[in-house]
Amino acid sequence: MDLYAFFFYFFAVLTVGSAFVVVFSRNIIYSAFALMFTFFGVAALYVLLYADFVAVTQLLVYVGGILVLIIFGVMLTTKVFSVEMKTGTLNLLPATLFTAIIAGMLIFVFSATDWNVVPDQEWDTTVYGIGALLVNEFILPMQVAGVLLLVAMIGAVMMAARDWTKLKSK
Amino acid sequence: MAEHILESISLFLPEIALTVTLCVAIIADLILKERNQNVAYVVIAGLVITTIFVLRQTGLTETIFSDMVAVDPFAVFFKIVLAVSGFFIVFFSMKCRELDANKKRIGEYYMLIVAMMLGMFIMVGATNLLLMYLALELSSIASYILAGYTKRARDSAEASLKYVIYGAVSSGMLIYGVSILYGITGATDIYGVNAALQTGDFSPLALLTAGILIIAGFGYKVTVAPFHFWSPDVYEGAPITITAFLAVASKAAGFAMMIRFFKVSFIDTALLDTAGVWDIVEGFQWNIILAVMAVLTMTLGNLVAIWQNNIKRLLAYSSIAHAGYILMGLVVLTDQGIASMMLYFVMYLFMNFGAFYIAMLISNKLDTEDIEDYKGLGYRAPLVCVAMAVFLISLTGIPPTAGFIAKFYLFAAVISAGWYGLVLIAAINTVISLFYYVRIFRNMFLIEPEGDTSKIEFSLSSKILVFALLIPTIFFGVYFRDIVDLAQASVKMFGL
Repeated sequence: MDLYAFFFYFFAVLTVGSAFVVVFSRNIIYSAFALMFTFFGVAALYVLLYADFVAVTQLLVYVGGILVLIIFGVMLTTKVFSVEMKTGTLNLLPATLFTAIIAGMLIFVFSATDWNVVPDQEWDTTVYGIGALLVNEFILPMQVAGVLLLVAMIGAVMMAARDWTKLKSK
Repeated sequence: MAEHILESISLFLPEIALTVTLCVAIIADLILKERNQNVAYVVIAGLVITTIFVLRQTGLTETIFSDMVAVDPFAVFFKIVLAVSGFFIVFFSMKCRELDANKKRIGEYYMLIVAMMLGMFIMVGATNLLLMYLALELSSIASYILAGYTKRARDSAEASLKYVIYGAVSSGMLIYGVSILYGITGATDIYGVNAALQTGDFSPLALLTAGILIIAGFGYKVTVAPFHFWSPDVYEGAPITITAFLAVASKAAGFAMMIRFFKVSFIDTALLDTAGVWDIVEGFQWNIILAVMAVLTMTLGNLVAIWQNNIKRLLAYSSIAHAGYILMGLVVLTDQGIASMMLYFVMYLFMNFGAFYIAMLISNKLDTEDIEDYKGLGYRAPLVCVAMAVFLISLTGIPPTAGFIAKFYLFAAVISAGWYGLVLIAAINTVISLFYYVRIFRNMFLIEPEGDTSKIEFSLSSKILVFALLIPTIFFGVYFRDIVDLAQASVKMFGL
């Protein structure tokens, strides 16, 4: 096994393993911390794919931003340790069957398909190329993504702030 | 490149006008403060400008922003449908008392409607999977928030949460399918996908998986079974204006995107021998899957609708059933089928908005959505109830209403493509649907009012809106030549 494959499997196991902890842990703090390893593992996989820009963005946005927010949110919620979370499992048999079928199908597809692969080559840095694409061919999706984020932000504020007037009147 | 982008911008004016409207609505909301219900007028002005820009695009067949978006008769047709429904929804919202529960945020409410429309405008024109996904998310995120807008907390919050979860799962499926499709074709624009698929150099199983996942993603947006589960709860919990908007505009945009995606990427252009009839690329019989889904959708929608007592929920199931009928047009792989789908949307817009609007007026006055409370309303509010009757007759598809013409052309298209079984099932479903539409009718007219028998008065502007919906519903049932021609002329897509 060469070094590349070693690192790939290492980070792949890290990603999937900690994703399991995220889902199956009954303690929300454990889940939040396990999520950090998932995000980190994914970032490492991007690095292995020469996607340096995406990897850095992954670290900055997910690990540095979203995850910290999640952990803060959890910590600021009172009684987080004492409250028993409602994490029952419903419809165990059909869900397992369904998941198994889908997983089997996807694994089969992934191993059987002749994928359209980009020839192996060593890339320098991708940031410049991505930047040029974002203001040329992909300028429209970038602008639409901007509007999307604006709408999501306003929506989030609207949802969160909905009860202020009520609270004041009380 | 710079020239190309500048040229593209000049063909992208409707969407830009909507984006500007969105920003102006936010600012107007800040300036107007307590009088923020006036943001509605800002939005109406923005929609007028948008519509003018859309109308100026008629007859164009161009591709802009490096093959990201097509400006073609097909897109223009759907943009007009969307713009008209946008006007109606803003007018409805100005009348809707349900929205008063969250008065302070009405400015954001109108802004989000514009955001949803922007997403849908891009959806109908997008020719790139990346942009399709982004546009779908834009309109979905705006509608998640709108579904949870009212504070009549439980229902609305539940609706919003369910919507978000279902939406997240299905958009995950969509993007997963898209990534597999990209993996086998190496292209994200649908023309490139088509070119790669026509070489036949791919594994059919991977294409099938990608296709099913993508159908799941689109199917959620247009509420076809088995991806419809979210819709009854969301339609019941959301404010009625948003329910109507989701049932008509969101569905139209979803179908437009679906039609364009399937018609461009999954057909074999080498086999276009008969005009208007297309063939599928080898390896993925997607129209069989869609046919099964159409049958499931209309049957399930109609059978469950029979048991509903809440008018919003009933109309939700009825709109699921209609999605099933409409889907038939795509199954038959002919331009005639597509044209009849487009015609159906025009008719469906007026009759379904009509039914929702009357339900809203009644709920404004009587504060009820229960069909049992409609007893004797025909005597108390004759005009509104007669209008409701016309809309229901039209939804069933009985002449001389618009709904009949829509169904007639759709069924004719399916028959001429030789799918007799499908038409038979649709016809049986139409009969079933009569049952629950008539139930509302019976409650209104054939049962004497109990208790309070006073007349219910509606304001003049409410009546004008009723007529604005009622007249087209009857008019298109009698005189339909021009609109049929328009739909048939608008089938033309860029690159085909």
